[in-house]
Amino acid sequence: MDAALSKNGRRALRVLFGSLVVFLYAPIAILLIFSFNDSQLPSFPLSGFTLRWYHQFLTNPDLRGALETSALIAACSSVAAVALGVLASLALVRRRFGGKGALSALLLSPLVIPYVVFGISLLLFFHAVGIPRSIVTVVIGHVVISLPYTILVIVPRLSQIDATLEEAAADLGASRLQTFRWIVLPLIMPAVVSALLIAFTTSFDEYAVASFVVGTRVTFPIYLYGALRFPSRLPQVIAVAVVVMIVSLVVVVGAEIGRRAAERRLGAAET
Amino acid sequence: MSAEAPAAEATPRGRRTRSRIDLTTPGLLGLPVACLLVFFLCPIAIVGAYSVDALHGPSLFGEAHKLTLAGWHALFHDGVYLRLFWKSVKTSLIVSVIVVALAYPVAYYLALSGTKRKYVLLLVLIAPFLTSYLLRVLAWKVILGNRGVLNTFLFWTGVRSPDHPLSQLLYSRFAVILVLAYIWIPFVALPIFVSLDSLDRRLLEAAGDLGASRWQAFVRVTLPLSMPGVVAAFLFVFIPTVGEFVTPSLVGGTSGYLYGNQIADLFSTGYPDWQTGSVLALFLLGVVALLTIALTRFLRLGEAAAR
Repeated sequence: MDAALSKNGRRALRVLFGSLVVFLYAPIAILLIFSFNDSQLPSFPLSGFTLRWYHQFLTNPDLRGALETSALIAACSSVAAVALGVLASLALVRRRFGGKGALSALLLSPLVIPYVVFGISLLLFFHAVGIPRSIVTVVIGHVVISLPYTILVIVPRLSQIDATLEEAAADLGASRLQTFRWIVLPLIMPAVVSALLIAFTTSFDEYAVASFVVGTRVTFPIYLYGALRFPSRLPQVIAVAVVVMIVSLVVVVGAEIGRRAAERRLGAAET
Repeated sequence: MSAEAPAAEATPRGRRTRSRIDLTTPGLLGLPVACLLVFFLCPIAIVGAYSVDALHGPSLFGEAHKLTLAGWHALFHDGVYLRLFWKSVKTSLIVSVIVVALAYPVAYYLALSGTKRKYVLLLVLIAPFLTSYLLRVLAWKVILGNRGVLNTFLFWTGVRSPDHPLSQLLYSRFAVILVLAYIWIPFVALPIFVSLDSLDRRLLEAAGDLGASRWQAFVRVTLPLSMPGVVAAFLFVFIPTVGEFVTPSLVGGTSGYLYGNQIADLFSTGYPDWQTGSVLALFLLGVVALLTIALTRFLRLGEAAAR
């Protein structure tokens, strides 16, 4: 007898799981369908197949500019956040020092601030110290909000690694930097890659904070938010939505599978 | 990696004692902590300064102002803001409860039904969270409108006539709750799954051997042991939702207008009032901080009790 689930319970939960998956994916599927629909308004009945909207978004310079800006901001902020996250994780996992609890609370605290509050805080801060709003201010905001996520991903991986490996490297004459470069970094690489990915997607998708600190070069979410108010732009926005969603799904799922494989391989090598 | 450099230099000198390792700790923590001090805590302090009108002019080093608590007075005596805050709290509670109630059984199924592909199914569940937030709101905007996908589908199939669309769908509090629940379900499934997956199944077998029914075993063993995951999930939905302004401004209309919209509007270009806005923001931050501290205490106590 199964202690956790009866036969009927299992069946009911399987149905619930199935309906939830349908609920989660149906809106995405609807966007997909209407991105090929030959009508200005997304409504039934469907009025024929077209690639017009995809063509329009490919030739829309504002939209492409916004995508490029977002990619640049996401690349800069994710690399910076992961670098800071690795440093902080090394200290939190490998070092003993007083006030560790308070420091880790500080490092994770951006997780629990409502973004509207953080957005206006940064706005007032940059205003008070006289820094004009630009791409840089958005990058700074995104580094702060992604930093705790990178720590949450890297710390568990780091604490799985046997500290004696590092001691052995030190005994064999490696400097701390060499130990990090040749022992620690390869072992935490899967987590570093996931952290990069999480930070990148967080930044690429972030509207709330960016809306307060963005300069004249708009990011993709801010362009999107603006475009939602103009019905004439809706179809091409749906088309780009489909492309962005599918690309992010493929990248994330692919990376997750890759991370699993890498961790399994590293796990086998360790034992 | 510049912070690692002093660590490398410190090695030859401090080889005698183990405490040399601690020498490098400031080097590792310096940059991340400085980053948060300057770009996280300092901005919040500046909001505090604005909330009492200590800063007003165009620059930090302008002339000094008289402090005033007028903004705080307005918050607590003029009921408008508090009512709006309460509305946001209620909306967030509804969203959090719906989301946890839907995600829990599904996470339970994945973690405890013994299905071999549980990680694959989990990824299927979580993947939508990793696509764009705004685009998922957009999808619902397309679906729920008066001339949207759902209504025109009903007209087309003849279920409703075009003169009588389901008009309360978009631009309502219902739409805000629906969309936010849609957005959070995948995210919430994860912490609950983790807490259930780490559950020792032998405990359930033991409960069964001692005569507990499955339901009793669930209520007395599984549910208490998974509470940390549930509380974490609740917190991770409640906190962003109580300050949410993006979804309400896109699908909420006037009846879905929330506290976060009020804050954002006080800083927008229309009729900015930075002092009142700062007061509202700090109040929200204070409530969220207290809630976080209280619930993390609860989690710690729970963990201690489980041991």
